[in-house]
Amino acid sequence: MVEFSLPANSKVTTGKLHMSKEIAESPKKLVIYRWDPEDDKNPRLDTYEIDQSKCGPMVLDALMKIKNEIDPTLTFRRSCREGVCGSCAMNIDGVNTLACLKSMSDVKNDIKIYPLPHMRVVKDLVPDLTKAYEQLASIKPWLERPKSNDNNSDNLNEERKQSPKDREKLDGKWECVLCFCCTTSCPSYWWNGDEYLGPAVLLQAARWVEDSRDAERKKRLSAINDSLKLYRCHSIMNCTRSCPKGLNPAKEIAGLKKAIVTEL
Amino acid sequence: MLDNRPLSPHLSIHKPVLTALFSISHRITGIGLSIGSILISIWFLFINLGPDYFSYFEIISKSIFFKIILILWTVGIFYHLFNGCRKLYWSFGVGMELSTVYISGYVVLFLTFLSTFIVWAVL
Repeated sequence: MVEFSLPANSKVTTGKLHMSKEIAESPKKLVIYRWDPEDDKNPRLDTYEIDQSKCGPMVLDALMKIKNEIDPTLTFRRSCREGVCGSCAMNIDGVNTLACLKSMSDVKNDIKIYPLPHMRVVKDLVPDLTKAYEQLASIKPWLERPKSNDNNSDNLNEERKQSPKDREKLDGKWECVLCFCCTTSCPSYWWNGDEYLGPAVLLQAARWVEDSRDAERKKRLSAINDSLKLYRCHSIMNCTRSCPKGLNPAKEIAGLKKAIVTEL
Repeated sequence: MLDNRPLSPHLSIHKPVLTALFSISHRITGIGLSIGSILISIWFLFINLGPDYFSYFEIISKSIFFKIILILWTVGIFYHLFNGCRKLYWSFGVGMELSTVYISGYVVLFLTFLSTFIVWAVL
């Protein structure tokens, strides 16, 4: 059900202000969403002032500086710091992106940082992705081969080759790092996230549908041919707008819809 | 403890990106057009009921309020029409690159206001 306002326990209050102790050469304020599961308080917005001249250029650098030097309780996911792992996905300056790929100089005013929108919060900037991972598992993100029993001539140990042309069909799909920036930017997913699979998972569905080595193309297509799972996509295109890897989930979803119409 | 997890803010904090604005406008104009079609039926009803009733409509239609509604309705028709075409070729997976999406969005806006202008100023 569409619920535009936040539940009572999720309303955001103003929090603490942590000013830098020395005079900063180029000060920058970060306003960060905080929520601690161990007290009964509502989420709050804490403000941290840092000196950009003593910090790396990316938002993730600033977050790590804050965690190391100002407030060790600040919680966020991060790993590779170069846009390959997809851990540090969050809402920065109103748009979902990876903190490690977002330059601080891109934001003119204070940098506002929230967790990925419309997700249950585990702590601070860490959203609960359990549901999203379950949805990913539901599309079977692995290679399916035909059963060998009915075809003895098919040597099971033979390498499954793929022509460069067929391999090209996976470009724009395999690069996805599953950060769920797109999924959580989609208003359709906000209102129907329980049933609608969301752009990230549908992009993965397209990745396995288009794989020439996969034997279950039709089965995969009919599995997602569902008014809620797939057709809650109304081509809003927020997914493509927010993808930090420059991929186009909306176009891949359109490809799935087209394949269902022409092939099933 | 799982149950007290808050929901992270969404509409209130997400930037109003153009992609979403074009989409929600399509819906709003769609709803507006549906209501407008009811009003048109009422107008036909007035004609059908004869000159006495129609003169009431004449009085209402001269008010500025009515004109504004009608102009908005014209904007709605053209926006819904042009954006509908955009959504139609998206169904074929055509023109879905982000840059193209923005350009076609601006084209829709331009055509909408051009058409509305032609209808009200020229015709």
